[in-house]
Amino acid sequence: MIRATVRWIGTSAALLFIVTVLTFVLAALAPGDAARSILESSHSTYTPQQYQDLRHQLGIDQPLPAQYWHWLYHLLHGSLGTDLFSGEPIASALSGRLAATLSLAIGGVIVSAVVGIAVGIFSAIRRGPAARAVSLVSLLGMAVPGFWLALVVVELLAIRVRAFPATGYTPFTEDPQKWLQSIVLPVLSLSFGASATIARQVRDSMSEVLAQDYITALRARGVPLRSIILKHALRNAAIPLVTMLGLLLVGLLGGTVLIESIFAIPGLGQQAVTASSTHDLPMIEGVAFFFTLVVIVVNLLVDVSYRWLNPKVRLS
Amino acid sequence: MTSHLTPRHPARSPRAVGRRIVVLLAAAAVATSTVAACSGSPSSSGKAGDTLRIAISAAPPTLDPAKADVSAGYPDNLAYEPLIVQASDGTLKPGLATSWSFTDDRNTALRLQLRPGVKFSDGSALTAQTVVDFFTYFTKAAGPNSALLTGAKFAATGPLAVTITLPTPNPDFVTQLTQHSMLSQVISSSGLRDPVKLGTQTFGAGPYRLDTAQTVTGDHYTYVPNPNFYDQARVYWKRVVIRVITNPQTILNALKTGEIDFAQADDPSTIPAAQQAGLTVTSTPVLWNGINLLDRKGMVSKPLADVRVRQALNYATDRAAISKAIFPGTSAPISQISVPDGWGYDPALEKFYPYDVAKAKQLLAAAGYPNGFSLKLVSGDVASMNLVAQAVREQWRQVGVNVQVTDYPNNDQYASNAFGGKFPATTTVWGVLPLGMQGPLLFLPSAHANPFHVSDPQLQSLYDADMKATGDAKQRQDRAVVGYLTQQAWFVPIFSTGLAYYARKTITGTSVSPQAPNASLYEIRPAT
Repeated sequence: MIRATVRWIGTSAALLFIVTVLTFVLAALAPGDAARSILESSHSTYTPQQYQDLRHQLGIDQPLPAQYWHWLYHLLHGSLGTDLFSGEPIASALSGRLAATLSLAIGGVIVSAVVGIAVGIFSAIRRGPAARAVSLVSLLGMAVPGFWLALVVVELLAIRVRAFPATGYTPFTEDPQKWLQSIVLPVLSLSFGASATIARQVRDSMSEVLAQDYITALRARGVPLRSIILKHALRNAAIPLVTMLGLLLVGLLGGTVLIESIFAIPGLGQQAVTASSTHDLPMIEGVAFFFTLVVIVVNLLVDVSYRWLNPKVRLS
Repeated sequence: MTSHLTPRHPARSPRAVGRRIVVLLAAAAVATSTVAACSGSPSSSGKAGDTLRIAISAAPPTLDPAKADVSAGYPDNLAYEPLIVQASDGTLKPGLATSWSFTDDRNTALRLQLRPGVKFSDGSALTAQTVVDFFTYFTKAAGPNSALLTGAKFAATGPLAVTITLPTPNPDFVTQLTQHSMLSQVISSSGLRDPVKLGTQTFGAGPYRLDTAQTVTGDHYTYVPNPNFYDQARVYWKRVVIRVITNPQTILNALKTGEIDFAQADDPSTIPAAQQAGLTVTSTPVLWNGINLLDRKGMVSKPLADVRVRQALNYATDRAAISKAIFPGTSAPISQISVPDGWGYDPALEKFYPYDVAKAKQLLAAAGYPNGFSLKLVSGDVASMNLVAQAVREQWRQVGVNVQVTDYPNNDQYASNAFGGKFPATTTVWGVLPLGMQGPLLFLPSAHANPFHVSDPQLQSLYDADMKATGDAKQRQDRAVVGYLTQQAWFVPIFSTGLAYYARKTITGTSVSPQAPNASLYEIRPAT
């Protein structure tokens, strides 16, 4: 157990290091820099000296390894640095945004899982036109882009019906009811395609499990179908599903970038786009750091779930 | 022995289980929408007079007026009272300065008389020294607008009098002291003592102050009335919220649902939808979209050194067709670098370059290029510049000019290539400005948009005379400069567009004019 924990900590630290180094290098390789971005925003003339002065003022005239070391040094002392332009501490700027992004991503996974599992079970135990219709809807779900669906649900449920807000995000701590209201449409847009993918996965796994001899034996013993499905079949079918949900959460984090833009939600994705366009390297690093942390935590949860669901893993 | 064979519960059929799942999902959906319905429609929150909600399309990287770009315009306008207020009809009215005038006949020494008794939101008093310290800070901050004060000197010539001495004559410098320029957003002395705070807090003497407790940087900025503001009658709102919404369609959606009241439309293609939704749309032509023929010395493209070639390209451009194709109904063809009623606009130049392929071929032949030539054109993707590039490539092919377009979606990459002396021509979208501001940015030898530093003695002479003129004489000189640039074909202006603003019917005061094309937040009031 101790060895596994040490290994996990080591792997996580290595992953954080590699991701932040890669982010730093890739962001620095992008054409332009923060100083040029500022000076050219007004189309005014500037001298090379003014450009160099501003680079010095922003601290971006240092060699790249020195800049990274500076960032890492502050990180090891508990600081993600400050925004190049506003001087705001990056940790405080991003912590509020993390909540918004996680609300969407976790909400998306929960809705996808509930809907996907329910539809998957339905498809596995039913045959005929109903099952075919569900398969068709699943296919449609995978084909329809999330951003297109977002535009449609905004038009229908926010502009015409006025049931949900078209834009914005209310933090849970401020008003739980408004929080729920503000994430319904974005979560719906995010989870539609994912639900379809999960449904197909559950249907296939369930169909396979339901064809096993022990299921037939259970049915022969008169065990209720609900019990067979929930206690036996679903538990066995859930093992590949857990991996899929972990990957899904990571995938939805990426998907939030566009959804946040469409619903004007202040999340990490929006911040990443803004920071990239202004070459705000410390902010880009901060966003990458937060995203990587989420991925590490998700992987940990997947590992723990695996052990809980599968006794073979525990024994090994 | 038989008990385990006896069903403990009647077994449910697969059909029954499936139905149950459908019912559960439907119940969850109904519950969610009920919660939403019980909490009321979002459009019902807030009403005009209480809160004004505005959307801007880009988050200001900083609120520090000395370091901010144009995206901080509205966020800073609310908190920083300008030295001079520009009304929506273009007239200049007293702000922190009650009067202003050039004290010499060369238009270089500008004297400002400051308003007595003004206090900033932090309680400190406005003095001449505060303004001088602010200008000094503005110059040293190396922000995007620092160049406006390059070579200028400023001095407190009395407790409430400041004199700005410009390095060259410029009667239009006064326009840089209105709310539409960051140079006018005077910071209090306590703000100047702690510049780090300027990025996320406000230290102005405007009608409102930023409420940092209700603000999330980069997402929304909440303003409350400044109790120290000198003219409380101009405070129309109990609260103003500026939201950052980057997607044009999302802005329109938020206006339709009443989540915001006012916004600038960055994408003119949404104008018809806004009109259809019953929003008030105000706009006046202020931008010209076309080609900047940068290499008038022929350094990388020899043919462009010949005025006949540049004129031929103007004749070979079907402006009406391009205008109609790219911005139908919201743009108009133009031949000069000004717009109707704009600075230097001359109605006589309206059709200076009619679409005439035969004339274009004739001019090219006269210049020694009967079979045309190849021309490298660089383009960005902002404001459909890339579409303009594609359009002229097709049209100029008819006169034998083979245009090779290089498109840079990355704006920094575009700017460094377009204005780095690498390409002989670039697509451009340019805002019409007073000539005194336009020259140093667009066509004088030191201008950023003149990377080959082309100079023309006759143009310089016309410009110098313009900068020393006043009143009607200045208007005539403005027209002379624009006319000369048109005749020399330094540019291929194609069509003009406006900055459009959308507003809900619950507010008023969003009008604009050619002299003040940017809507002023100071005039927006509840409609009732």
